[in-house]
Amino acid sequence: MKKRILATTLAAILAASSLAACGSKTEPTETTKADAATTAATTAASTDTKPAASGDKVSLSLCWWGNQTRNDVTKKAVDLYMSKNPNVDIKVEFTDWSGYWDKLSAMAAGGNLPDIIQMDYSYLNQYQKSGQLADLSEFMSSGVIDTSKIPESIIKSGEVDGKTYALSLGSNAPMMVYDKAVVEKAGVTIPDQLTMDQLYDLGKTISEKTGAKTLYDGGINMMQIMARANGSHLFDELSTGKEDSMKIYFNTIEKFAKSDASISADLLAEKNPDVVETKPIIDGTTWNDLSLSNQFISISKTAGRELGITMFPTITDAKVQPLYLKPSMFFSIAESSKNKEEAAKFIDWFTNSTECNEILLAERGIPINTEVADAIKPKADAAAQTVFDYVAKVTEIATPIDAPDPSGKGEVEALGKTVSEAVRYGDATADDAVGQFVPEAKKILEEAAK
Amino acid sequence: MKNNQMIPKRKKSVGQILNTPKVAGYVFILPFIIGFLAFMAIPMILSLGFSFTRYNILKSPVFIGLENYKTMFTADPKFWKVFGVTMYYVLFSVPLRLIMALAVAMLLVKSTKLSGFYRAVYYLPSIIGSSVAVAILWKRMFASDGVVNALLGIVGLPSDLAWLGRADTAIWTLIILAIWQFGSSMLIFLSGLKQIPVSLYEAATVDGANGIQRFFKITIPMLTPTIFFNLINQLINGFMAFTQSYIITQGKPRDTTLFYTVYMYQNSFTYNKLGYGCAMAWFMVFVVGMLTLVLFKTQKKWVHYEAEG
Repeated sequence: MKKRILATTLAAILAASSLAACGSKTEPTETTKADAATTAATTAASTDTKPAASGDKVSLSLCWWGNQTRNDVTKKAVDLYMSKNPNVDIKVEFTDWSGYWDKLSAMAAGGNLPDIIQMDYSYLNQYQKSGQLADLSEFMSSGVIDTSKIPESIIKSGEVDGKTYALSLGSNAPMMVYDKAVVEKAGVTIPDQLTMDQLYDLGKTISEKTGAKTLYDGGINMMQIMARANGSHLFDELSTGKEDSMKIYFNTIEKFAKSDASISADLLAEKNPDVVETKPIIDGTTWNDLSLSNQFISISKTAGRELGITMFPTITDAKVQPLYLKPSMFFSIAESSKNKEEAAKFIDWFTNSTECNEILLAERGIPINTEVADAIKPKADAAAQTVFDYVAKVTEIATPIDAPDPSGKGEVEALGKTVSEAVRYGDATADDAVGQFVPEAKKILEEAAK
Repeated sequence: MKNNQMIPKRKKSVGQILNTPKVAGYVFILPFIIGFLAFMAIPMILSLGFSFTRYNILKSPVFIGLENYKTMFTADPKFWKVFGVTMYYVLFSVPLRLIMALAVAMLLVKSTKLSGFYRAVYYLPSIIGSSVAVAILWKRMFASDGVVNALLGIVGLPSDLAWLGRADTAIWTLIILAIWQFGSSMLIFLSGLKQIPVSLYEAATVDGANGIQRFFKITIPMLTPTIFFNLINQLINGFMAFTQSYIITQGKPRDTTLFYTVYMYQNSFTYNKLGYGCAMAWFMVFVVGMLTLVLFKTQKKWVHYEAEG
């Protein structure tokens, strides 16, 4: 008898505790009283935030996408922040680019977005429109996030409908990377900005002399550049079903695909240039790579060779200089966050503190705080210096960036990849591809706008 | 728990109520029931509901009736493509895995000193086989500069094949991975083999039946219930395959390795069309259910249970 009572009691305890364990994750942070004196003095009495910031143990979560270099430096910076602010505990999570957005939308669906979200220009609209992001304007006007050393135009890049929802973490520009040794061996010089045709010819020479292949993978960034050079914008064309720029895009894909000097379709599929660590330039399969300038640091580090940087190619007879400056990424605060002010303080430190940026060393792009940028430039290594100089050069010629991408961008991007692959494998001609891609993309955008 | 400590007054105490066998039984299965409701039943019902909506995760769902199902069947060519890819994968990986499992089980059925060790070793892949680490290992093995090509090079075969980049070979790297994970079916076959009475074999040997005859006339028929069980299990497993496609190939090249589950996941979370993803999930439930039903119906024709003679 007694045994049975004991057993049922144990079972009940088990059930109750397992339930409690499930629940505790979503509950607000345990408030263990720490010295209330610590940093309470600095807490400007902002009226509308919760008093969680006043010395109780605060826990924040921070998510980003990235590569090994970024993961290492960001973790180091977060550790430094925690050692300086013992009342703050920051939990970090990171993943690669494509997995990140899957994860984030699942988190949004579950109502547990991280307090601090690394945000991208192309997703900002979508997340803001659905009310997931906190308004940062109040923290900027109250001085929690100091914006005095940040150019107005950069603050504006994180604005939607006149309010700031994201703060840029650095400036960025599209670029082409090349392998210096290979180019030297081939005896060619790389001009400031190639046209696609010049890239094609140059690639032929390099391949003949060194065996290294040319990368020309296409993708949504490339489509955007083509459309810009052609005097319009990608999503303006796609949403109206215009084919002009896509004709140039798919014809270029076809041209490169047919050349022996280009990396073969099957090798490109295997290597996956979307991830820094597996880019074909890393192991020397190709002599070039097309990417965004902040990635230059991690690509150089991973490759372990001296790489050069030049402007992203444009089209022959371009109507407009297609290069633009882009906020490499942002930090946003989730609307659901319980510690918005603490999150804002971290963002302020991340942006405005020299010691933090000495660790980060422009891996997320050139710091937006001009004083910080000047302070860390001499300390940066050769790769980071190259990026500083490159972004400064692009600043002089850049044209304004496209409007933030509409909903449905993710699916259009995936479709673009599949259709480009079909051309590369020789299963479709450029004309087929245009005929398939443009109307389908238009349909996707219409669906997504509903 | 608190209630247990209360001192009983006049009525039956909570302890006494809990003490009846019926209640005790329910209390014991309570953890499972709660888990089942919270993590299976309720999410499933919700997903059925979502499948009739347009739901982009970030905004609240809008009811659109059968629209998602209509799109799926009539306006999404990629849907049928990934369905075909998944069918192809199941069609080859399941029978091949079962043949492999049976072959190894036959080898291990004799008890020797090392058979326990071998059983454990061969079982290992089915525990770790669907992990991300193994997927990445596989990716490296079949890379153009990977170990598979290196081995082919040693024996003088062409060694520059990009296995994962070619439409005709990429899916087979995934099928081979599936075959390699034969361990759990093997264990079930092993126990099935051991239940076949030795007297049958002895009688057959006396009558002059050779090994092949014994295998097809005794082993296979006696094993059909086990084969049936394994087949159903592996079929369902096959349709649920995800990691291989998601990690190793990401569906490349040209969606020839894009599994149904991965496309469902992409729709739900990458394209933010959760309603559509849920509709896809329910179609899969329907397909797997129908296949299982068909298999059960054909059971009478080929599965021999001993009791029926």
